[in-house]
Amino acid sequence: MITIKILVCLVALLLLALVIELIRREKLTFKYAIGWIFVLVLTIVLAIFEKLLVNVSQWFGFQVTSNFIFFTMLGVFVFLCLLMTVFLCQQDTRNRLMAQKIGMLEFELKELQKKINQHKKDS
Amino acid sequence: MVKKLLIIVPAFNESGNIKTTVQEILSSQSVVDIVVINDGSTDTTAQEAQETSAFVVSLPFNVGVGGAVQTGFQFAWKNNYDIAVQVDGDGQHDVSFFEPLLEPIRQNKADIVIGSRFLKPFLGYRSSFVRRVGIHFFAYLISFLTQCKVTDPTSGFRAYSRKAIKVFAADYPYDYPEPEAIMLAKRFGLSVMEVPVQMRKRAIGHSSIRYFTTLYYMTKVTCAILLNIIRKKKVIEL
Repeated sequence: MITIKILVCLVALLLLALVIELIRREKLTFKYAIGWIFVLVLTIVLAIFEKLLVNVSQWFGFQVTSNFIFFTMLGVFVFLCLLMTVFLCQQDTRNRLMAQKIGMLEFELKELQKKINQHKKDS
Repeated sequence: MVKKLLIIVPAFNESGNIKTTVQEILSSQSVVDIVVINDGSTDTTAQEAQETSAFVVSLPFNVGVGGAVQTGFQFAWKNNYDIAVQVDGDGQHDVSFFEPLLEPIRQNKADIVIGSRFLKPFLGYRSSFVRRVGIHFFAYLISFLTQCKVTDPTSGFRAYSRKAIKVFAADYPYDYPEPEAIMLAKRFGLSVMEVPVQMRKRAIGHSSIRYFTTLYYMTKVTCAILLNIIRKKKVIEL
């Protein structure tokens, strides 16, 4: 039992270190990293105080604690996936709007340049 | 007051077609502004369009026909055009039908006028059998849902009033947009009307809708149309 505790803590700590390193290298912004940090800290806390985890899972009616963990993780990932799709759609829309704006601006810039050239020729 | 007219021509890889299309429009309407929306074409569409007197707006990458047409609406809105006409860049639309398309808008009878291949008198090419079945299905679905008779919901040969331009500049569906746009228009309280037109077979190249995508197209558009019922009604002020 104690070895599992250590294993879980180790993996979580490793991931935590990785996340912090990614923030340090500016590959992750804090906004998106905060969720990861929260989950990892929670994992460590639950691994150390496992009684808490067992109690909660029994309160929900799970016979085996590991089932509770799997269920929770699946739920979290489904939600996360949905959230990511929403982000993706948002980015997609913004991307399209940006492309349209760029197209229009480029056109206006060219027209202005034409006008300037014409003006230079005239004077 | 003379109403300012803009012809919107969305074009994606239409080299060989685009020049003829623009020249045809110019020969039918003496004084008219044309904007070609080059939707991230990888061929010489942009250069060919620039050789004509049309305005050319080039998008940095392909955003799909809906996004391209919407750019046209944004252009029309920004430059104060009163009427916009959408003509596909592949030369399928017969420009001699401009006048019947424009007439209802000029007389304020409708906000959107759709050129229909399926209104009598029948005037020529009306698509392949399979495609006709699909088009009729959408026609019945949209007619039933909007309580407004539509016979050719996939037609991209359309004229728009200033009000419709404003609506679509802000909000336009982006893949396979035509049938959905009718639902959207109804949601904004725009009036839709059809007039009979003639279309031709494509001169060069393929339609954007091919065999493998047919099923996806049918499902997507049906869902999109149905989803429009539960979306919020919106009001637009001009």
